[in-house]
Amino acid sequence: MKSELELRGVQQRFHARGVADGYITAVDDVSFKLLASPPQIVSLVGQSGSGKSTIARNVLGLQKPTAGSVLYGGKDIFKLNRAEYDAYRRDVQPVFQDPYAIFNPFYRVDRVLWKAVKKFKLASTRAAGLQLIEESLKAVRLEPENVLGRYPHQLSGGQRQRIMLARVHMLRPSFIIADEPVSMLDAQVRKHFLDILLDFQREHGMTTLFITHDLSTVYYLGGEVMVITKGEIVERGSVATVMHEPSHPYTKLLLDSIPQPDPDKRWTTRIQVDELEHLDDNTLGDATKPEAPII
Amino acid sequence: MPMRILRAVLRTIRNSRRLAMGLVILGVLVLVALFSPLIAKAIGGGQDPIELAAYDKWQVPGPSHLLGTDQFGRDVFAMVVKALAVSLQIGAIAGVISTVVGVIVAFVAGYKGGWIDNVLSTFTGILLVIPTFPLLIALSAYAKNVSLFQVGVMISIFAWPFAAKTIRSQVLSLRTRPYVDLARVSKARDLEIITTELLPNLLPFIGVGFASSALGAIFGLVGLEIIGLGPGGVIDLGQIIYSAISTGALTLGAWPMFVVPVGLLTLLFAALNMVNIGLEEVYNPRLRGVAGE
Ligand SMILES: Nc1ncnc2c1ncn2[C@@H]1O[C@H](COP(=O)(O)OP(=O)(O)OP(=O)(O)O)[C@@H](O)[C@H]1O
Ligand SMILES: [Mg+2]
Repeated sequence: MKSELELRGVQQRFHARGVADGYITAVDDVSFKLLASPPQIVSLVGQSGSGKSTIARNVLGLQKPTAGSVLYGGKDIFKLNRAEYDAYRRDVQPVFQDPYAIFNPFYRVDRVLWKAVKKFKLASTRAAGLQLIEESLKAVRLEPENVLGRYPHQLSGGQRQRIMLARVHMLRPSFIIADEPVSMLDAQVRKHFLDILLDFQREHGMTTLFITHDLSTVYYLGGEVMVITKGEIVERGSVATVMHEPSHPYTKLLLDSIPQPDPDKRWTTRIQVDELEHLDDNTLGDATKPEAPII
Repeated sequence: MPMRILRAVLRTIRNSRRLAMGLVILGVLVLVALFSPLIAKAIGGGQDPIELAAYDKWQVPGPSHLLGTDQFGRDVFAMVVKALAVSLQIGAIAGVISTVVGVIVAFVAGYKGGWIDNVLSTFTGILLVIPTFPLLIALSAYAKNVSLFQVGVMISIFAWPFAAKTIRSQVLSLRTRPYVDLARVSKARDLEIITTELLPNLLPFIGVGFASSALGAIFGLVGLEIIGLGPGGVIDLGQIIYSAISTGALTLGAWPMFVVPVGLLTLLFAALNMVNIGLEEVYNPRLRGVAGE
């Protein structure tokens, strides 16, 4: 299916107290288009409060913009008929920032995967569903037996975030809306995660809107980038161009604020890469912070 | 789903000794209440031990009447057991009504937000600040010879806003959780989100809502009765205490008529509060002595 996702003049205002006119404009006249083919990675970069998450919520249909529209296949996502809505829901899927809060603490983690199987009718029998779930977990380099049947607080952040990727893998959407998916992961797990996203693009033809405040991940992913500040997109282009010849002063500022490595200073204790490799599922699993079961 | 809830409840109970204690005491009281007809039969041996003039009046506690008899010659033990059942029933009726109404109002207000929330919250707020006790006194003037169920309903009118208020604030905080968003992009409808994502996490709060309104109802009624304003036709623990006071039972050596109902009410109070505190301990980990699981 060839589809496209387009934001046309999206504006989002929120009522706020203590502001001059009683509201703040979180997103201001934002327009851009994401194409399903060829699959691309488009990063949206900006500092905290610039309106990135709000855009993600608009695109996901979780928040209706005050003005402008979000179009899926040329139609406003808030005016889709039943069949179109189903297609849109399946085709546009999120990965959120906080791998802790994304799971309902009341249920085992399997539930989000089974929900996907059932709601989107991915399999007709339980066995087929389970097979699908296990395949997808393996695709994101998780061992099914290590994660299935566990509660969220028994898994590491990296594991949980990869379960969300497994969910995406099962659904095979054309578009992944990833809102700071790696900001709460450590460096090694982060690279792991980004590699999976790149795999998804290559192997399954998924287009990702990658939201971040971290330019190094943008650099790693490549593709296109849009720079947002105060709700407005001020610069867009290929990562190489924007990184090397920024045209907007804000982009320059952002680039300058990356800490530059100082070759004269060296880490006193060096971390071996193969040491980190072992920090996979099990070690991280045990190191999770104990969280209170809600009930 | 029900199995899951049951398992969660068991997990919660294992995590809190107070909660377990409270539930055990409550369970024993409920059992006694359930068996009250049998107990009455055993005492009466064929005749009704709480009939007027069933026995001689003002008998002191002894082998045939463990707690003696009252001013009308009724067996106090049988009366107290029956009254306990009545008190518990009133608590249960008022608790269920207040909790159900409170939960519904809280969910509609909290989940839908906007003007609906404004209207409902204002209404709840008004009911909350109305001085309940004087109103109940006024109401009871019209409520001579009401049924047990009517008493429960009357009291729950004033009890549900408390449940609604606590639960609404929880709904407000839960509905913006990312897992609710995830459910929405998984095509879950509002009602499904409320029942499967929010409600299970609110069970402890609902438990607290139930326990507090039951407690409030039982003791609200006792309060009315002690000052002689109880609705007639319903004999609960408070009614027995009132008649013990008004007949001067204590001076006649019929102390069990006063002491036993007071003791039972104290026990009930302690049990319901232990349930409350225990639940609070579990859902608010900062209050917990040791981390669970
Ligand atoms: N539901 C809401 N109600 C009121 N204001 C909101 C709401 N959601 C977001 N805002 C405001 O909109 C602005 C943009 O928020 P947004 O979450 O989109 O920023 P962000 O770029 O994602 O920031 P961060 O990097 O910290 O996640 C902020 O000023 C925020 O306070
Ligand atoms: Mg954000």
